[in-house]
Amino acid sequence: MIKHLLFIVLIFLAQEIEAQGFQVNFQGQKQQGMGGAGNALPLDAASVFFNPGSVAFLKENSVNAAFTPTFANTLFEDANTTSIGRTNSPMGTPFSAYAVYRRNEKSKFFYGLGIYTPFGSTIQYEDGWTGRFALSKLQLKSIFIQPTISYKLNDKIGFGAGFVYSTGNVNLQKDIPVQDADGTYGHAELNGKASGFGYNVGLFVQATEKLNLGVSYRSQVNMAVAEGTATFTVPSSLATNFPNGTFSSALPLPQVATLGLAYKLNEKLAFALDVNYVGWKAYDTLSFDYAQNTTSLVDTKSARNYKNTFAFRFGTNYAISTNWDARIGLAYGITPVQNGYVTPETPDANRINYTAGFGYKIGEHFHLDASIFFTHLKRTDTNLETNLSGTFTTNVLAPGLAIIYKY
Amino acid sequence: MKFYRIKWTLFSAAFVVLSACKPKEHKTEYSAGELDLSHFVAIGGTTTSGFMDDALYFEGQENSLGAILAQQFELVGGGTFHQPWVSTSSVGVNADNLARFILDYKTDCLNVTSLSPVRKAMTGDATIFSESLYDAAKPFGNYGIPGFYMAYAFSPAYSSQNNFFKRMASSTSATVLGDALNSTPSFFSLYVGLDEVMKYAKAGGKNESLLTASQFQALYTPILDQVTSTSTQGIVSTLPDVTEMPYFTTIPYDGLNLDEANAASLNAIYNPIGLSFVVGKNAFVIEDPSAGIFGVRQMVSGEKILLSVPLDSVKCNKMGSVFPFRDEFILTMDEQNAIKNNTVLYNEYIIAKAAEKNLALVRTDLFYQSLTSGILFNGISLNTKFVSGGAYSLDGVNLNPRGNALLANEFIKAINAKYKSNIPTVDATLFRGIIFP
Repeated sequence: MIKHLLFIVLIFLAQEIEAQGFQVNFQGQKQQGMGGAGNALPLDAASVFFNPGSVAFLKENSVNAAFTPTFANTLFEDANTTSIGRTNSPMGTPFSAYAVYRRNEKSKFFYGLGIYTPFGSTIQYEDGWTGRFALSKLQLKSIFIQPTISYKLNDKIGFGAGFVYSTGNVNLQKDIPVQDADGTYGHAELNGKASGFGYNVGLFVQATEKLNLGVSYRSQVNMAVAEGTATFTVPSSLATNFPNGTFSSALPLPQVATLGLAYKLNEKLAFALDVNYVGWKAYDTLSFDYAQNTTSLVDTKSARNYKNTFAFRFGTNYAISTNWDARIGLAYGITPVQNGYVTPETPDANRINYTAGFGYKIGEHFHLDASIFFTHLKRTDTNLETNLSGTFTTNVLAPGLAIIYKY
Repeated sequence: MKFYRIKWTLFSAAFVVLSACKPKEHKTEYSAGELDLSHFVAIGGTTTSGFMDDALYFEGQENSLGAILAQQFELVGGGTFHQPWVSTSSVGVNADNLARFILDYKTDCLNVTSLSPVRKAMTGDATIFSESLYDAAKPFGNYGIPGFYMAYAFSPAYSSQNNFFKRMASSTSATVLGDALNSTPSFFSLYVGLDEVMKYAKAGGKNESLLTASQFQALYTPILDQVTSTSTQGIVSTLPDVTEMPYFTTIPYDGLNLDEANAASLNAIYNPIGLSFVVGKNAFVIEDPSAGIFGVRQMVSGEKILLSVPLDSVKCNKMGSVFPFRDEFILTMDEQNAIKNNTVLYNEYIIAKAAEKNLALVRTDLFYQSLTSGILFNGISLNTKFVSGGAYSLDGVNLNPRGNALLANEFIKAINAKYKSNIPTVDATLFRGIIFP
């Protein structure tokens, strides 16, 4: 049984990490069921991500593996013409895996390791869609690996810090408006590996029996593509205008500051509230610097002009019985994408996330958590760089499953 | 086994919901408003016919201004738009019996091979001129006739003067307007007067004259009167400033690049009459009867060299330097100003007539102006640069299918504004630009 589940997890690990949108908030199944809140509520090893400071307040050593198959569908409707475009993006597979360990119950130190995918996106539009010269496919993947140490100062205060190593890949494809005799358009594919460093620190305070407070800060991670490959398929007479070669680029994965609050009303009912402040302003420009420029192939600097934003996450956990927990949550996210800058890469909008989940204790050692996530996005805009004008509508559905082993 | 079930239930639920997860299309209600589009007739000249790449051929007709409009009209009840089709396999033909241009490799006199517009065949397909396509049961919608001048609108002998009209005329004594209106169009477009300007401009102003404003009015008025006596709903178009078209803007006035020896030999020739040359860029030399006793001078900034200039002669036989460019290859500032000023006057009249006749008006002149500064459509940049600009066909004066689509959109917007209709514009990404080998 366990083997089987692990096997499935590994399959997903082997695949690429994909999810709609750019920031992916699928880092823990319990938290996912609760609107994504969990900064001040140390429920399981996912606290390595949510607040390293709270890890020291976990009760047991555990290993936790989760995945969240994500189904996103986007529809673009042109404002002026009858053209529409749909995505046929592959299923997204955000995953997370955590392990926390302390030597014995008296130990003030908890050691943790988190492997998770906080940013990623694969969006692929159907062939020949009207925005093909802006984008046909974008695949961003990043895996964060975060060794962590958490220290329990006293019965009320814990703090922790993790070092983040991020590795990933970007693949961007679009058509080029030059046609050969068959009417086939040129195509550009930019592919590159990226890596970066950062950290995740947190402070956790058990203020009263009932009230917890938490604050965490995840630093910005600059994902730099030093030597990507640029491949162009163009009519043969233009081959010298579009030489295949290398390019460099960089993508900032923004810093996130979180303030968390958790309140245990009684033994059965707990509430959690997280407020994220996301430093999207760092995503100011998307640049591609080609090693070999021509009159047709010039370096590009596309304004993105993202703004810093807030997200509010609220959730509740209800212990139905000793074995069963039920969860429900809501989140409201403000889009970082300003008017005039909505692109097919991230057709983002303000959003309400609806979530629910449950937990089941199979036995002393094994726990199972499941969650479901739904959101609906709608954004009408005219992009300043391409003049692509219309409405993007996106539905995202993401059921998730985690298995936890406690020891 | 229990987890198995939970897992698979979850998975199958996910896949079921996945299919329901696709956003639904929001259906826009398109409407004809006050319009009756059951029979649309486009009246005009070369630009209306679908003539492009310097010939009339099937694909150009498929993407003619009228055809694109009619395609959109069909969404709101428009009827079938019949055209005097050239066969799909034809290389096309123009009035000089030449085939259409395609972009291909060409080796010049210096043995340099580069991409250039070349004729698709040695000669044009003159067989189309012996066709007789008139069918009273399928009246043409496209009365855009290559080389049509307003002066011939009522001329009964016109089919003997214009082969393109001949093949679509109802009889040898048919007139253009008579045939166009015979089927009682419910809606018309009128875009005339540009061929006259083009005739002057493409001749470099030599041995040609522009219509004066009053001559233009005297020709335009009866045409519009006649059309509106049959059809009260329609759209009239202003005329673009042709001097901004790539045919006139591609070859730079100062493209005479000289090395030391050539500069010296030109100086030996021309210094005595006051012209001097330097190593590097120089203005070309042209004939100008008003330039001193020799009638020769160098070009000045702003003057234009036509694309008709024989480039091999320029590169290898010292045309434009030792042998000055003849007047027919040049638009001087005076000639350009005449074109610009007269076009403005024609347009003022067209604008006034549109208001008087209560018709839709499309500012085609403004569309071309915006093309000069650059248009961006869903990530495609278009401008007036020859070939790379993507909007003009390879003849440098007529738009290609994508350019026509963008112009058609201006027509549609003007129609919607006038007649309270809601006709969608076209997606220009679905129309081809330049085809590269």
